[in-house]
Amino acid sequence: MSTTYVGALELASGAVLVSAIMTLWRRQVRSIVTMLSLQGIALAGVAVVLATHEHDKALLATGLLVLVVKGFVVPGLLRRVSQLDPNSRESAPLVNVPASLVFAAVLIVLSYVVSSRVTSFAPTVATHLTPIGIATVLVGYFMLVTRRRAVSKIVGLILVDNGIALVTFLLTSGVPLIVELGSSLDVLLVVVVLQFLVVNMGRHLRTNELAEMKALHD
Amino acid sequence: MALLLLGLGCCVLAAAASALPRSRRVPVSAGLGAIGCAIAFAAAMRVLVTGGVESFHTTRLLPMIGLSLSIDPLGALFIVATSFVGFAACIYCIGYARGELQSRTAMALLMVFILTLLAVPVASSIVSLMFCWELMALSSMLLILTDQRHSREARSAALWYGVMTQLGAASILFGLLLLTVHGGGQTFADIRLHSTALSSTVRSFAFFLALLGFASKAGAVPLHVWLPKAHPEAPSPVSALMSSSMVAMGVYGIIRVGGDLLHGGTVWWWVTVAAFGAVSALYGALHATTSTDIKRLLAYSTIDILGLVLVGVGAAGALYDTGHPGVAQLAMMAALLLVVAHAGFKGALFLGAGSIERSTGTRDLDQLGGLIHRMPFTAALFALSACSIMAVPTLSGFSSEWLLLQGLLHGFTDRSTPTLIIMLVGVVALALTGGLTAVAFVKAFGIGFLGQARSPGAANAVDVAPSMKIAMALLVIPSIVIGVVPGLLLPLINRAATTGLATATPSPVERGTSLVLTQFRGTIEPAVLLAGLVLVLLIVWAVNRRLAQRSARRVDAWGCGRDVQTPRMQYTATSFAEPLQRVFADVLRPQSDVEVTHVAESQYYEQSLVYQNRVSDALEQHGYRPVIDAALRVGKSARRIQNGSIHRYLAFGFVALLLILVVLA
Repeated sequence: MSTTYVGALELASGAVLVSAIMTLWRRQVRSIVTMLSLQGIALAGVAVVLATHEHDKALLATGLLVLVVKGFVVPGLLRRVSQLDPNSRESAPLVNVPASLVFAAVLIVLSYVVSSRVTSFAPTVATHLTPIGIATVLVGYFMLVTRRRAVSKIVGLILVDNGIALVTFLLTSGVPLIVELGSSLDVLLVVVVLQFLVVNMGRHLRTNELAEMKALHD
Repeated sequence: MALLLLGLGCCVLAAAASALPRSRRVPVSAGLGAIGCAIAFAAAMRVLVTGGVESFHTTRLLPMIGLSLSIDPLGALFIVATSFVGFAACIYCIGYARGELQSRTAMALLMVFILTLLAVPVASSIVSLMFCWELMALSSMLLILTDQRHSREARSAALWYGVMTQLGAASILFGLLLLTVHGGGQTFADIRLHSTALSSTVRSFAFFLALLGFASKAGAVPLHVWLPKAHPEAPSPVSALMSSSMVAMGVYGIIRVGGDLLHGGTVWWWVTVAAFGAVSALYGALHATTSTDIKRLLAYSTIDILGLVLVGVGAAGALYDTGHPGVAQLAMMAALLLVVAHAGFKGALFLGAGSIERSTGTRDLDQLGGLIHRMPFTAALFALSACSIMAVPTLSGFSSEWLLLQGLLHGFTDRSTPTLIIMLVGVVALALTGGLTAVAFVKAFGIGFLGQARSPGAANAVDVAPSMKIAMALLVIPSIVIGVVPGLLLPLINRAATTGLATATPSPVERGTSLVLTQFRGTIEPAVLLAGLVLVLLIVWAVNRRLAQRSARRVDAWGCGRDVQTPRMQYTATSFAEPLQRVFADVLRPQSDVEVTHVAESQYYEQSLVYQNRVSDALEQHGYRPVIDAALRVGKSARRIQNGSIHRYLAFGFVALLLILVVLA
């Protein structure tokens, strides 16, 4: 097993998690979307590294698909939404940024504790990295809960999806292309629908802070 | 069977005919419904006379399992009663339907209701029975809402009814399914075959579950709360059907499951049934005496009569289990005869109440009075039916209750404690409710039809459409026939009773027009009684005419010699029942309010005095209310975690996920 492979895999996986944490750190909605784009590229990198290591052409194709959809198309769509209001900022998240970062650290520890059983089943380089995927899921979920802007919430949702994708790549060395195709298109569809919703909400309610929509319930 | 299917098909057509334009909808739909009922009546009569069993199975109507129908004498008897009332209700509808009841939905629902009432007694598998049962409950529940869906009472009544009937149906379904757990299929034939192999615990459990559901449908106290709410709020033809036919389905279910499918069971089953019956009879009769809403009064009297029926069924089951099939059959026949008689007179009374409501615009007895002058035909029929329910000799109530009393008295031959308790309690209940029912219906007729009008509505009432009178007159026929020549119907009832008890003993009642018990001493000759009654009346009339020398002087009725008699000087329904209400205050728990307004200058002079008296259902107040309140409290506290904040909903998911992970780690 070449050290290049191990290094590359660790680098790419780490980049996925780091970009997830960066989304918590940044306030400007535009730069959050940029972080998401970086994460999509890093995720595609994981797939490509695994594919070259195992000489799996289908996985390579999956990686390219991920690169296109999650690296460029989805962030591109979100960027277009955020350009409606170029200065929109995550000004007062429900949990502030330093506390969010501390909490992210706790989540990472938790995911290492939880996945220790999973890794002990098949201790390979890839499975040792699964905690990173789980941590990405948790960070994404955390973002979904604590951020106010509609776009940040969508980003949180995609972080969760990316985390799940990372775990599947690492544990199973890639899912069949058709499955990944399906889930990627699902995410794309969700983003399109949400984009439509956000734009319309902004137009009708003059806000896209979801906390201000409490009056709509019942 | 083909004939019955034709009848049911006619009802389906009638439901479909509700799609016709408004002008032709009611006559065509109701006409087809009446034809369907007539055909079903003929089919059921044929089965009762020949005593055969006919079956039918189709897989086209219910997916996978199919619809199984099978008509035997027991089911046929209930179809006879139902189709007769259904026929009259359809005819009544032609004159009665107006406004919301004319709508497409209401007519279709009414026809579906009649259809399911005819189908329940012939359903011969669990799935078929539950299908028809639920359809019956659903259609009747929606019918409550058709006429006055904007009134708060109607909506509350429909809700109560819906909840109670669903709980009941669940209980029945669970009970019947228990009978299938030890192999065998879900058809009644299979259950009948395999039920003896079941353990007695399973059989008892299944019976009591089914009993809960069926007793609730039969309005047995304390499961009756829906009945006095739902029956008054429904349109009158629907009330008539609900009160005379639908509640009888509860009795049918108890006989079918306990007597037929489970072959009797233990004495304690039937002690429970009879206890339900005795309590219901007394409770219903008491509330009937104090009700001032005429349809509510009728609804409570339904609880009363059905209670007596349950006493009869309970006594029959217990006597059968202790080895007295002869008396058991007598009691069962009495119960079934009472069901048929009740279908007739209660149907007529509800239709009469509908006519009163239509012409005066109110159901409140305290607003009525003097209707005998303005609606003489309705008054006469109402009086006849009221006499019947009061068990006046030579009418159906008398024959059936006499037979029940004979059954109970001869039941004393069995010396075991449970049966003795049933017989004793049954006789007491029968005697006491007889008196209370008389009070209730003297009140209903006396306050409603006699005296002077208490409101403009009653003063300006006009008699109703001919079809409504014809329908009412039709329903009086059974009261007279069963009353005067009870022997005619008894061989048919006997056939139904033998199916219900699964015995083959000879009829305890002799064939013929009069009632003669073969194995015991007991005979009445209603026809002779009637002749004697007529003779006595003639003599009194002749003597009176001969003796009355003074010329006739016309004064106000019940004027007591006073010249000026105002409607406010009469007894009201409330004041009439007041003494009884005082005696039974512990059970009825009436709430009275006296509000006195004084003249401004002096507090020793009163300006006005308002007296309010309300008798609400004590069981509902103290039994059901706390349960409902507790459920509402739990529901409300669950609402507290929902405040409409998306962040909070997402946080619930996130925290749950973290907790699961921590637990797993």
